[in-house]
Amino acid sequence: MIIKVENLTKVFKSYQRGNTFGEAVKSLFVRKPIYVHALKGISFNIEEGELVGFLGPNGAGKSTTLKILTGIMHPSGGKAEIMGYTPWKDRKKYVAKIGAVFGQKSQLLWDIPPVDAFYLNKAIYSIPERSFKKTLHKMVELLGVEELIKKPTRQLSLGERMKCEFIMAMLHKPKIVFLDEPTIGLDVIAKDKIREFILEMNRNGVTFILTTHDLDDIAHLAQRVIVVNHGEIVFDDSLTTLRNYLGVKKIISVSTMRPLPELRLPGIKITNRISDYKAELELDLSKYELNKFIALVNKSSTIMDLSVQDPEIEEVIKGLYH
Amino acid sequence: MFSGQKMLIKLRHTIEVLKATAVATYKEWTAYRSHMAVSIFVGPVFFLTQAFIWRAVYSSRTTLNGLTLEQMLTYYGISAVINYLTYDSADWDLQMLIRTGQFLTFMLRPLSYGYFAFSQKVGHRILAFWVELVPIYLIFFYLFKIELIPVAPWWALLSIFLSFVLVFFTNYCIGITAFWLTKTEGIRRAFLVARDLAAGTFIPLTFFPEIMQKALFFLPFQFITYVPTRVFIGDYELVGLTMSIPEIVGLQFVATLVMYGVSKILWRFGIKRFTGVGA
Amino acid sequence: MMTNFRLYLQGVKVALSSRMAYRGDFFMSMIIMLLVEMGAPLLTILIYHNGASFPGWTMYEALLLQGVFLLAKGIAFPFFFGIVWNTIGRVQEGTFDLLLIKPKSVLFLAIVTAFDSEDLGKLLGGITLFALSLSEIPPPGLWEWLQFAALFFIALTTLFGFALILAGLGIVWIGNFRVYDIFESVVNFGKYPAALFSKSVQTMITLIIPIAILGYIPATALLGKPAAGTWSAVTVSVVFLLFSLWFWHWMLKKYSSAGG
Repeated sequence: MIIKVENLTKVFKSYQRGNTFGEAVKSLFVRKPIYVHALKGISFNIEEGELVGFLGPNGAGKSTTLKILTGIMHPSGGKAEIMGYTPWKDRKKYVAKIGAVFGQKSQLLWDIPPVDAFYLNKAIYSIPERSFKKTLHKMVELLGVEELIKKPTRQLSLGERMKCEFIMAMLHKPKIVFLDEPTIGLDVIAKDKIREFILEMNRNGVTFILTTHDLDDIAHLAQRVIVVNHGEIVFDDSLTTLRNYLGVKKIISVSTMRPLPELRLPGIKITNRISDYKAELELDLSKYELNKFIALVNKSSTIMDLSVQDPEIEEVIKGLYH
Repeated sequence: MFSGQKMLIKLRHTIEVLKATAVATYKEWTAYRSHMAVSIFVGPVFFLTQAFIWRAVYSSRTTLNGLTLEQMLTYYGISAVINYLTYDSADWDLQMLIRTGQFLTFMLRPLSYGYFAFSQKVGHRILAFWVELVPIYLIFFYLFKIELIPVAPWWALLSIFLSFVLVFFTNYCIGITAFWLTKTEGIRRAFLVARDLAAGTFIPLTFFPEIMQKALFFLPFQFITYVPTRVFIGDYELVGLTMSIPEIVGLQFVATLVMYGVSKILWRFGIKRFTGVGA
Repeated sequence: MMTNFRLYLQGVKVALSSRMAYRGDFFMSMIIMLLVEMGAPLLTILIYHNGASFPGWTMYEALLLQGVFLLAKGIAFPFFFGIVWNTIGRVQEGTFDLLLIKPKSVLFLAIVTAFDSEDLGKLLGGITLFALSLSEIPPPGLWEWLQFAALFFIALTTLFGFALILAGLGIVWIGNFRVYDIFESVVNFGKYPAALFSKSVQTMITLIIPIAILGYIPATALLGKPAAGTWSAVTVSVVFLLFSLWFWHWMLKKYSSAGG
């Protein structure tokens, strides 16, 4: 086991602050403390080589977890052991072994080319020259940024910059890499390239922990999904299980020769009745089997066209957040 | 591995980080050398105002507070030049990183931020050396005819180096306050004004009332500008107290050590707050 | 006009309340904004206390001059001089475009969004220094006050001109907040009696760049010993204002035609 987390908790203390002018003046003199329980006891284990997605709405505790696991924040309670280290103790030794890309916070230096920033990390992580050259060459090729790394960072597009952030974070060949919203704001092509890169690195044995709002990231990358809400883990299993979590559902759209019946039966939920001859609906297979449904509709209305789809992952997640 | 060998490796790593950081910072700021070069205009213009004011003040006398006009202008010239060597923005940089959250990226690397910031200062000042200092030195030396040759060059260099380090630690401490205060502009500027005043940038410290001179003697700020300038000139005096050059430089060394200690302690508390210990 | 004024007040209110949210720092900053301006008065006091003087000026006369200067700055900096940092910052961040797409004059919007509350400290300092030194000299007559008021108004328009030039520079010289340093070094001449300077500098600061008008000229009018060349200085100030308006619009045109 490369990561072992046990009953992690975190409580934040903050102060109430008004919005209006009057309240703002008042807040200069009196402040009310507010306690927020960001994590209420989180436990999980991650094996070497896993690619785990962390999901959750804003303020669910994702970032807090990530900050604790990267050694930036001390938890209020609980244990964590990563590669034999407790992240928030012995920070320097620990972070030398991990990599991190925080989508909103750049490690690159704005006014100079990424390659100069790479050399800075080479010194900071004491990467031997040969290993540095080899890793750099490999990653530059994988991401297709040979030309870009010599241009000033400020001239690069967001996608190009993000590719360079990945190189920056992985030059020292970390065993575990933490990613926070790595594809935020990127176009489809850049997203694909970065996902490909992550998968390739994962095949080489790197463990990834990924937090994101982009469910496409999860669908493309993660074998395992941990969903956090209100500071607690509400789901921790494979992506397929996640899809099935709220019952095996299918999305069906159907058009018929004769008017459709009411279809008020357990397991059938009409989501959109377009006309008497056309409708979209959700079918819960545990309550009503697909072949029975088709037979029923065909008998009553004669099917002209019918399509069956899996529900969008978004829908599943929304169900979990409630 | 022998512990000696280990230390050697550690030392080499430390130097590597200094070099890499300084080089990166130098390159970063090269893009803004025109901003830096503004000093070539601003520095001499400020000096000119001073020169006119003091010339007028001295029109009816030959000495003031024991200084001749020439000595007075030499004081301003030297202190300006020293400030270009020792200036840094460690306070601004750190509070900016904390405020934007970018400070995270330093916590994620096996590195002490303080050492990184100091290395940045080295790179920044190397660029400033030829963009600001050399032109201004030449203007002061040849145009304004200021005697910019130290009496005891090695002592002057040592004193300027100590000031370089001391300025860093004081500014760094101000930057650390950003861990507590969401906005530190106010305290930052308050400190800078107080610092410049107490350091002797506006006027030689001997012009202050006796009681203030006494207080200033025990503050670390005189070691920022006043002491290196006096060492450069070759004699030291404050509150009617004269000291030999080695004595005052020794004191400056102690003050630098103290500031180092203060910054270490402040940092420990600041980082505790950042990482949310006990919260 | 009325809507514009209301818009301006709204800008002031927003700036104030967002600034108030940071406890402590606001008052601190205000006091500091005052203290940073105390360099010249402090130097003056120390010079007089060490038994020396500016030839032909008593200490309080010199302090009055600096009080006038600080009063002008204290009005300019919070209420309209902020266009300088506002413009530089916006051009640097790319949010300057937001001003261009609104149905109002860009200059007006740049002023509205640039109210600088902490610089009110300068105003406070200006009033204090002005009042204190005024109480130590013979009270000026009505005629002196009228002259002073007119010249002080010209000083304000001149500061507006300076703001336009610095902001205009900030459009093309991206991210360079050091234009403030240039400004401070140049106007430093305005904080002292012009007679201290050489003839060529005096000509420079009255007839070429209107700096003496920022403190020296209104102060001498109030002290009842109007400086020679007051009228030409006023003329130069008006020309300067027109020039700066033209300069700002020229830079603005450069910005919008450069595009993206």
